[in-house]
Amino acid sequence: MSQPIVIHSILINYDYLNNMWFKVVIYLLIFFSYNSTPARPISYVGGWTLMQKNDYNQNSFHLHYSPSVNYSIGYRAEYWRTDHWQFHGAQLNYLLKRINKPKSQTNLYLRNGLGLSYSDNMELENKTEPSIFSGIAFDWENRRFYTSYENRVHFSPKIHSFYNQKAKIGLAPYVGEYGDLHTWLLFQIEHMPKSDAKKLILTPLIRLFKGDILGEFGYSNSGDFILNFIKRF
Amino acid sequence: MNIPLILSLIFFINSPSKILSEEKKSIFISVNGLVCDFCAVSIEKTFNKKQAVESLNINLDKMLITIHLKDGFDLENDMIIDLINKSGYNVIDINRNK
Repeated sequence: MSQPIVIHSILINYDYLNNMWFKVVIYLLIFFSYNSTPARPISYVGGWTLMQKNDYNQNSFHLHYSPSVNYSIGYRAEYWRTDHWQFHGAQLNYLLKRINKPKSQTNLYLRNGLGLSYSDNMELENKTEPSIFSGIAFDWENRRFYTSYENRVHFSPKIHSFYNQKAKIGLAPYVGEYGDLHTWLLFQIEHMPKSDAKKLILTPLIRLFKGDILGEFGYSNSGDFILNFIKRF
Repeated sequence: MNIPLILSLIFFINSPSKILSEEKKSIFISVNGLVCDFCAVSIEKTFNKKQAVESLNINLDKMLITIHLKDGFDLENDMIIDLINKSGYNVIDINRNK
């Protein structure tokens, strides 16, 4: 695994963030990370999960490892396209509560991140500063219905501080067995109070799920596509 | 031709002990919270690391895990409960075919 070494170098010497090739590598990593999860931020003991998401605002990449069923730790990279800034850092996901029922599962997570934000927009050219974020995530699902909610407070004083929240509801038109291709029809509402553009973004989504791979595809009311991929290994 | 010897051999080859030794031990585990493929993947990857496990089948509809063991191997109930808990789920019941 050479990835942690690369990440370490980025954190120690963040002049790298100004390098054009570095930006290209990050861009490619975010867009073509098929080998590498929207579902649960914690896996089984010893499990790795890769989550890659693209929406109207940002491209993100999150690789995490679960030493315990109660928490996971990993690397998170984000590129916020409209405001031209990036975040790179460590993310800790903690399972506050899980309720396993005969036909359903409920989870409540706490997610915290610590790292560096870098801006290359016109006003804050090449500005780098420490950042922190925190949020909770909730999900409930059975084999036919799905619902989730998550929020996040991000604090990066000069570059970009924000609060957002997101909710999803979903329905499986058919119920398949393990290994089948599962299909979910989802509807997502995202609220970004400080957004300069749309504050409420509505997105119908299709989720395709088979074994350890999950993909989501959607088109929002702001005219942008959503593409999310998750792989657990 | 020694007919008694041949009959003895046939009886030995088809003896119940031979038939029993070929029968695989299986464990049937009912689990709470098993709702999706990611849950099943977690269970599969956790149990496949165990030497005793020959194959495994997961039925999400019945929330049932069936483990077929290799000859001469076994998995204790305490270990099964621990592995399921480490995968994030709860055991309701464990049954065995022998």
